[in-house]
Amino acid sequence: MVVTALDAAEIKRPRPRLRKLEDERWLALALLVPTAVLLGLFIAYPFFEGVLLSFSSARVGDPGHFVGFANFEKIWNDSIFRTAVWNTFWYTGVTTVFKLGLGLWLAMLLNRHFKGKALVRAFILLPFIIPTVLSTFAWKWMFDPTFSVINWTLFNLGLITTRINWLGDPDLAMTSIIVVNVWRGVPFFAISLLAGLQTISPELNEAAAIDGARPWNRFWYVTWPLLLPVTMVVMLFSVIQTFADFQLVYVMTGGGPANATQLFATYAYQIGINTGLLAEGAAVSLAMFPFLFLIVVVQLIYIRRVETR
Amino acid sequence: MIEGAAWRRWVFSNIPLILFVFVLLFPFYWMIITTFRPDGELYRPWNAVNNMPFWTNKPTLEHITYLFEETNFGRWMLNTMFIALVSTMISLFCGVLAGYALARLNFRYAGMLGTLIFITYLVPQTLLFIPLAEIIRNFRLGDTPWSLILTYPTFLIPFCTWLMMGYFKAIPKELEECARIDGASRWKAMLYIIIPVAVPGILSSGIIAFTLSWNEFIYALVFLSSPDEKTVAVGVTSELIRGDVFFWGSLMAGALLGSIPVAIVYSFFVEHYVSGLTGSVKG
Amino acid sequence: MSRINRRKALKLAGTGALATAGGMAGILATGRSPAFAQQKTVHWLRWVDFVPASDTLLRKELLPQAEKELGIKINLETVNGNDLQPRATAAIQSGSGPDLIQAFNNYTYIYANSVVDLSDLAEDLAKREGGFYKYARSICSDGKMFMSMPWAVIGAMIAYRKSWLDEVGATSFPKTWVEYHDVAKKLKAKGHPVGQTLGHTFGDAPTFTYPYLWSWGGKEVEADGKTVAINSKETIDSVKFMQAFWKDGCDEGGLAWDDTNNNRAFLSQTIAATLNGASIYIETLRKPDQYQTDKGTPMNKDIQHSPLPSGPAGQFGMHLLQSDMLMKYSKNQDAAKDFLKWIHTEKNFEKWFISQKGFATPCTAKWEEHKVWTDDPVMAPFKVAAKLGQAPGFAGQPNVKAAEALSKYIITDMYAKAVQGMPAEEAVKWAEGELKKIYSA
Repeated sequence: MVVTALDAAEIKRPRPRLRKLEDERWLALALLVPTAVLLGLFIAYPFFEGVLLSFSSARVGDPGHFVGFANFEKIWNDSIFRTAVWNTFWYTGVTTVFKLGLGLWLAMLLNRHFKGKALVRAFILLPFIIPTVLSTFAWKWMFDPTFSVINWTLFNLGLITTRINWLGDPDLAMTSIIVVNVWRGVPFFAISLLAGLQTISPELNEAAAIDGARPWNRFWYVTWPLLLPVTMVVMLFSVIQTFADFQLVYVMTGGGPANATQLFATYAYQIGINTGLLAEGAAVSLAMFPFLFLIVVVQLIYIRRVETR
Repeated sequence: MIEGAAWRRWVFSNIPLILFVFVLLFPFYWMIITTFRPDGELYRPWNAVNNMPFWTNKPTLEHITYLFEETNFGRWMLNTMFIALVSTMISLFCGVLAGYALARLNFRYAGMLGTLIFITYLVPQTLLFIPLAEIIRNFRLGDTPWSLILTYPTFLIPFCTWLMMGYFKAIPKELEECARIDGASRWKAMLYIIIPVAVPGILSSGIIAFTLSWNEFIYALVFLSSPDEKTVAVGVTSELIRGDVFFWGSLMAGALLGSIPVAIVYSFFVEHYVSGLTGSVKG
Repeated sequence: MSRINRRKALKLAGTGALATAGGMAGILATGRSPAFAQQKTVHWLRWVDFVPASDTLLRKELLPQAEKELGIKINLETVNGNDLQPRATAAIQSGSGPDLIQAFNNYTYIYANSVVDLSDLAEDLAKREGGFYKYARSICSDGKMFMSMPWAVIGAMIAYRKSWLDEVGATSFPKTWVEYHDVAKKLKAKGHPVGQTLGHTFGDAPTFTYPYLWSWGGKEVEADGKTVAINSKETIDSVKFMQAFWKDGCDEGGLAWDDTNNNRAFLSQTIAATLNGASIYIETLRKPDQYQTDKGTPMNKDIQHSPLPSGPAGQFGMHLLQSDMLMKYSKNQDAAKDFLKWIHTEKNFEKWFISQKGFATPCTAKWEEHKVWTDDPVMAPFKVAAKLGQAPGFAGQPNVKAAEALSKYIITDMYAKAVQGMPAEEAVKWAEGELKKIYSA
């Protein structure tokens, strides 16, 4: 849709503005059409279909009929579902705390000048770049019950005598996926926070030091508040990703042992695709949405407050 | 910012840094070494004597040759590359246009649309893939790369849009106004002035989109089924886990080789990737 | 959109040589000569066989022979067994995928709405070969139609190291669970425990937990197929016994094992006994130099097989039944049926059967006389796997509800939870709740 050229010689005030507005609106429409089409067709429409699906009794090969809230009732009473809810919150919470703490530490370590800094910065992002599935396989091999290299190391350091059952013990399995998720996410946090740190003028810290403030106080009262906007946005992205995580758990443990690492996404997949109960799978997925929405809204409000401070 | 004696620098800065780098990079070393170790060495229990897991004196290419001869690994790489490139281009196209519209044009629903695009990011893929499977079926795209090329933009476009919004906002309005005074239309100003200036931003979005689409798994898992059509992630997961007793060597070979293209592309554009990442976060 | 249709036709028609050129290039090119589209292709999806020699036989000999004789192309795809179900569901939902999909146990009931009735082929085979075993018939047919064509039964037996059991005084394999517990305790004390998976894996876990449950007298439902009967004293006893058995005698990593872990553990000599198909033994036959005992003798001479021990209610076994489903969405149904008929003719199937060396037991009575069973006495116990197998869903039918319970790993999880510390009564109650949800729907 080609917009006709503006007549720059137009003297009368109101008309150019009206034309301009109209032009802008048409142009905006044109520019947004491709996006609207793709997102409408492949997100909005399937989303509504998914919602309808969760209200039906569809199974594989059988479209079923409308059953209202029956699926939601069923999954609410499903102990595996409740386990998955708890697991997802725990997983998201713990990993975010660690990613933030370790990422911040790493960012501060990188916020100096040293030889090879660019190289280090580039290498550090590798865990985040490499496809999750592939790096998770490497970890799975490192955690293998019979051949784990971690166990080998600890054994030869004299720290353990019997094998650590990384993926077979329910608590350790959760720890293992947390470790891998943190491993993957720390670089993202670190690099983003580093950029944030670099926008903080060093004079502020120096001034505080001259005034006699100790390192910890300098951090807490000077650096941290200025870092908060960036931190909140990074956390927002990270929380969304982790809450809906599928790949990592699917490859590492498949949700086991005995559902100890089952999350929303993996459970939805298991019920929907494995067992063929499509409607219930959709219900589990949909159940994720309000939680996620709430978390995001809370964080956005917080970000808004921080920015206007 | 650690002042004081050199030992303090070592203890508080250098050693932790070295530890971080080691932990972050060790799994890749492990991938590499496993790829080249023969089976006999790989399968020794963790507490067996004579077990030196970190090195091998008899490197072998058997896992890699197995990968290429017994599976369609080469094909998977081509598929993934093709899908990533085309969906990145589509997303960039949409993202640049949408980003410009939302950042620079004044119209009533700009804010709301921006938020709406953000909301789509929240919709879980596990909810979408069943209805999407039907849509794919209706368009008869099942088991073709196009099923992914058209669905990947759903999570790439929001990202590209925000990134580009940030970049566009940073371009001074004067640039455009000069062009307009010279007689260019809004459209032409965008095309010939703004976009060239935003090229770094476009590169950043592109590289991030590329790595994100290489990383996608669940849609590829559900929409593709023939061995010839699979992407690397799905192929490695589904075809290298064989009933036969030994597979870790080839699995690691697959993981290693599957990571290399992304790593290479990334290494050429590190600066752009980093600035894109941080730009999206700051903006 | 017509371009896409033609691409789709190209894809279905041309595999093999066309695959590399056709896939991506086909998309980029604008239409090819439609002549390619005329040859029929049958896409067969199977698991990656635990006996690699059979897959090689199929790919290098049997399938090319079939292609020549039938004038069609056959595209054999093998995937990890755990992936068959997801693939089937995804294929049905997207309306395209393999023409023939292999089913395990009573998956057939889950997909009953989406498959073609194969009664004519099945009854034909039954007539020729002395009838199907009850087990095979109950799983592949619901009385009204044959949801799939029975293929074979993968027998599950306990593979054990004879010398190690001799060392702890068990000259013959323990006959009851109590004896087995005793032996396992001694084995674990010597550093090679029993190894069993209680994870979410299709093969070894249910084939252990279901017959174990039955041997104690427990069952999922009553014969009426509706009343959930799992919460009984017998079940609770079995759970309590399992808790002790696991701690005293088993490799506790087994909670995270899939179907290949116990193979690898056995072959690397970390466990002394495990329930498995014959793949462990067959692997040691394949590479006798690689698998040696500590004394330097080939491991395959030290391996014996035995059925599961018996409990208070008897001795049971549940074996993996494999069958092939012909999907309704398939556009090559006639070609697929021709192929099925071809591969089930005695002379062709026999080749495959021999390559399995007893790992698989066919579903008809006539193969019991085959010399494969007498060639290697170590494999003899597998002969009657199909005859004696009992199906999940006992004491009801192995129908859709039993299939759902099976694919949700309810019974396996019951034991897994108990072994991780949940009190037996609670674990059983949990299983009861889950089963009730399925059976009352």
